[in-house]
Amino acid sequence: MMFRIDRDVLAEAVAWTARSLPARPSVPVLAGMRLEVTEDQRLKLSGFDYEVSAEVTLDLQTGEAGVVLVSGKLLAEITRALPAQPVELVVDGAKAVVTCGSARFTLLTMPVEDYPSLPAMPPAAGRVGSDVFASAVGQVAVAAGKDDTLPMLTGVRMEIDGDTVTLAATDRYRLAVRELKWQPEQPGFQAVAMIPGRTLADTAKALGGSGAEVEIALSSAGGTGEGMIGFSSSGRRTTTRLLDPEFPKYRSLLPTEFSARADLSTGSFVEAVKRVALVAERNTPVRLAFRGGEVVLEAGSGDEAQAVEALPVDFDGDEINIAFNHQFLLEGLGAIDSDIARLQFTTPTKPAILTAGKPVDEGANEDYRYLIMPIRLSS
Amino acid sequence: MTVYGDLIGQDRAIGVLRRAASAAAEAVAGGRGAGMTHAWLFTGPPGSGRSTAAKAFAAALLCPEQGCGHCDACHQVEVGSHPDVTFVRPEGLSYGVRQTRELVLKAAGAPTLGRWRVVLFEDADRVTEQAANALLKAIEEPPPRTVWLLCAPSADDMIITIRSRCRVVTLGTPSTEAVANVLATRDGVPHDVALDAARAAQGDVGRARRLALDEETRRRRAEVLSIPRSLTGVAECITAAERLVKTSTEDADAATTALNEVETAELRRVYGEGSTGKGLNKGLVRGGAGALKELETMQKSRATRIKRDSLDLALLELMAFYRDVLAMQFGASVELANEDRRHEVETVARASTPEDTLRRTEAIMKCRERLAANVHPQIAVEAMTLALRSSGVVHRG
Repeated sequence: MMFRIDRDVLAEAVAWTARSLPARPSVPVLAGMRLEVTEDQRLKLSGFDYEVSAEVTLDLQTGEAGVVLVSGKLLAEITRALPAQPVELVVDGAKAVVTCGSARFTLLTMPVEDYPSLPAMPPAAGRVGSDVFASAVGQVAVAAGKDDTLPMLTGVRMEIDGDTVTLAATDRYRLAVRELKWQPEQPGFQAVAMIPGRTLADTAKALGGSGAEVEIALSSAGGTGEGMIGFSSSGRRTTTRLLDPEFPKYRSLLPTEFSARADLSTGSFVEAVKRVALVAERNTPVRLAFRGGEVVLEAGSGDEAQAVEALPVDFDGDEINIAFNHQFLLEGLGAIDSDIARLQFTTPTKPAILTAGKPVDEGANEDYRYLIMPIRLSS
Repeated sequence: MTVYGDLIGQDRAIGVLRRAASAAAEAVAGGRGAGMTHAWLFTGPPGSGRSTAAKAFAAALLCPEQGCGHCDACHQVEVGSHPDVTFVRPEGLSYGVRQTRELVLKAAGAPTLGRWRVVLFEDADRVTEQAANALLKAIEEPPPRTVWLLCAPSADDMIITIRSRCRVVTLGTPSTEAVANVLATRDGVPHDVALDAARAAQGDVGRARRLALDEETRRRRAEVLSIPRSLTGVAECITAAERLVKTSTEDADAATTALNEVETAELRRVYGEGSTGKGLNKGLVRGGAGALKELETMQKSRATRIKRDSLDLALLELMAFYRDVLAMQFGASVELANEDRRHEVETVARASTPEDTLRRTEAIMKCRERLAANVHPQIAVEAMTLALRSSGVVHRG
């Protein structure tokens, strides 16, 4: 096997593929990156850590068909350091020789027959803009659980119904829901998938930014390739293993009627919460008292340090004293992606909803909702 | 050769597994799959092939022909790289709750290649109680395509709540003849040597192979078995204890070094050793030093465990010796594990009573318990050798 290719193209593809290589491979062969030159003059680079597979396909001018497995880390380091000249890789017995200008590297190859079979890509289901997708995933993944006790809480649930995709995640203390439009391959397409949160966030980031469209590959219930989801964009594709699709019935958790609404400037609210939270221990709440045109933020208690700050607020409804975990509140404020944050309440012990606020007459933007559970005040 | 080829004298268990694998294939094809279970516990004495059996079953589940032994799936299970098999080998002394939670999360996913997701847990008896509890829920109600294969010496080693959720596959001790045959045909060991080794290993195929092929292993065994006759005075007992601990440490070191060298070399190659080019000659590439350090930490923890296992093995050999003595004292017509040392067994049998022998075996068991409870090896073994020496005196403690 051999191929010749532009240095930048190769370095970028190798670096991207190497991202999915496991940091601590359970078997040495998993540290390998598989390079394959196909008969139709394409170079396929793939990496796999059992959860996620990544594959880049590049067009070649010169290539001889074959497969080789080399250390992905090593190849990434080498390609990064190569001068800006065409790169040639030739397999010679148990060695792969990389030449680029005057630089010459010899890499030991790994047994390609021991390399695990890569999962097949499920059938394409539809397309969505990569930037919209990346931001939507970012908004929802923030609420996914980080502890591993309940697998379903570490995932992001994706529900597809026709041209609407709903993403949802919860760690029992908050719940983030985002709706977005996409172009399904078939108009009435329906599917549900639970995607590991961290993996989805990484994938969306890795495919985003290019402005291109992301194709989502997912089979409807009972179809082939069940249990996998694939994402592809401009020659790059990844597959991710799905979690068990069980998930709390979250729609009924979202309150629809409220006794009060508060619109605040997101920036100054975030700053104020951060300042007040300085005296709040890890799990003690930040207390908010909404009165007329003002909200008073407080943290800390009598025996310890205390902090108080007041902010102007556009408030409408019954006065309310409510308390939140400051970290969860800040993460929600970071996710709404708007200058105005709108909080809606029913009672101090029922969940509040955080959304992007708009001038009052336009109403709130309901695409994204961040439900946050208050902490009960003891007094 | 099918995937079951490495199992010796386990026809009954193989039958069970074969039936389950075809039921599993039926379930994959959309049928009912009656006869397949989502949690299995493989039990059997050391060396009977618990993990080999579990591995074979994993291959049979994942292979489209239920364990042909030569397709990609079978090969990948064999070398440990199949994406749908998670191998768990507790390398340290125990397996903690944090690792277990991660494992539960991994096991919750759907299979990558569409058949089954298999978690093969070797030495599952090493889970801590907390970790066992973390496993419960996952084992009780795994996702439809997840299969748990746990291995433990006996079902009693697992807490009852886990045991009751698993289908138990019991592997028997393969007969001396069967083990000797394997050694003779596969490793070309002369028949009488093979027979001695098989008897001494008491059904543990791996141990028998080492005994037959490795001079050092034989020497260490001879050293251990020289202990009963050397216990003539208190001073001798102390020396014998020291010797026993030293021998088993040597044994452990030899095993550890062999394992470590291969792993370290493999990891170094991943980080660039053996590859050449500008900038690569100075050592490992980025991340290499960290990865090596991590590997060393794991190896250290494993070394502690191997040391303990190897001392335990030595004690079990002593145990087998006294068992032979007891058999002779009662005139039982059973095969002696130490047939090659019949003379020594006879000497001890004549010089003591069955009560003495029982008391001695008890002292050995006590020593094993103490070691498991982290007593300093030297002290625990000294207490044991002293108890082995004195006859007719009742010791309490």
